[in-house]
Amino acid sequence: MNSDSQKLGLFYDIPEIKKCQQNRYPLLFVDKVFDVKPGISAKGIKCFSYNEWFFPAHFEDEPNVPGFIQIETLVQTFIMTFLTLEEHKGKKTNFLSINNVKFKRKIIPGEQLIIHANLDSFRRGIAKGSAAGFINEQLTCSAEFIVAIPDILNTFKPSI
Amino acid sequence: MNEKLKTYNSVFKETFGIDESKLIDLKYQDIIEWDSVGHMGLMASLEDAFKIEMEIDDIIDFSSYKKGMEILLKYNISFNE
Repeated sequence: MNSDSQKLGLFYDIPEIKKCQQNRYPLLFVDKVFDVKPGISAKGIKCFSYNEWFFPAHFEDEPNVPGFIQIETLVQTFIMTFLTLEEHKGKKTNFLSINNVKFKRKIIPGEQLIIHANLDSFRRGIAKGSAAGFINEQLTCSAEFIVAIPDILNTFKPSI
Repeated sequence: MNEKLKTYNSVFKETFGIDESKLIDLKYQDIIEWDSVGHMGLMASLEDAFKIEMEIDDIIDFSSYKKGMEILLKYNISFNE
């Protein structure tokens, strides 16, 4: 961690991100996470190179980032807001809901998405919050998420 | 029906989309909506509706509609007033 990133909060590169979340290539869609305030917020960077596996297929004549990958990029930064807490590090997560998804413009090869994610609440294994992606400071995509940590939910299951 | 019972029933109905006539014998996992995720939603809605914070042991013991009424008595929520 250098002095700049210390000023900006916690910084996570790929090996550190992999310690926090279980997404892996070809479905790990955040390259760096920075300015992390565990339990509060996180920022992420995803660089989309033409070498991404999906560009040749989506689409051959007009490569752009599929919407589901934009959502994954947003949520993978969002989950870093709570998977950076020591007690949740490395746990699997599941979507419970995605709301208010908005795509403002295409993302094409060579562009870098900056994601801002905020955790509104985290209670008994259920996280609620939102994330927004920007390219050149222009809002590109956004969504609200409810995500669960199944390991924690299971500890509250009624005994029958 | 007292106001607290009305509130209790409406939380179940809104959380699970279930008819009031089916509540009395309802147990955890009787319906697909009352799974581990639905259980957390139910607990959160009851806490909001009654302005309480339930203990972990009570959340685990809350295994049916009837059992829930017994548990809520601990939080001074009586359905017989």
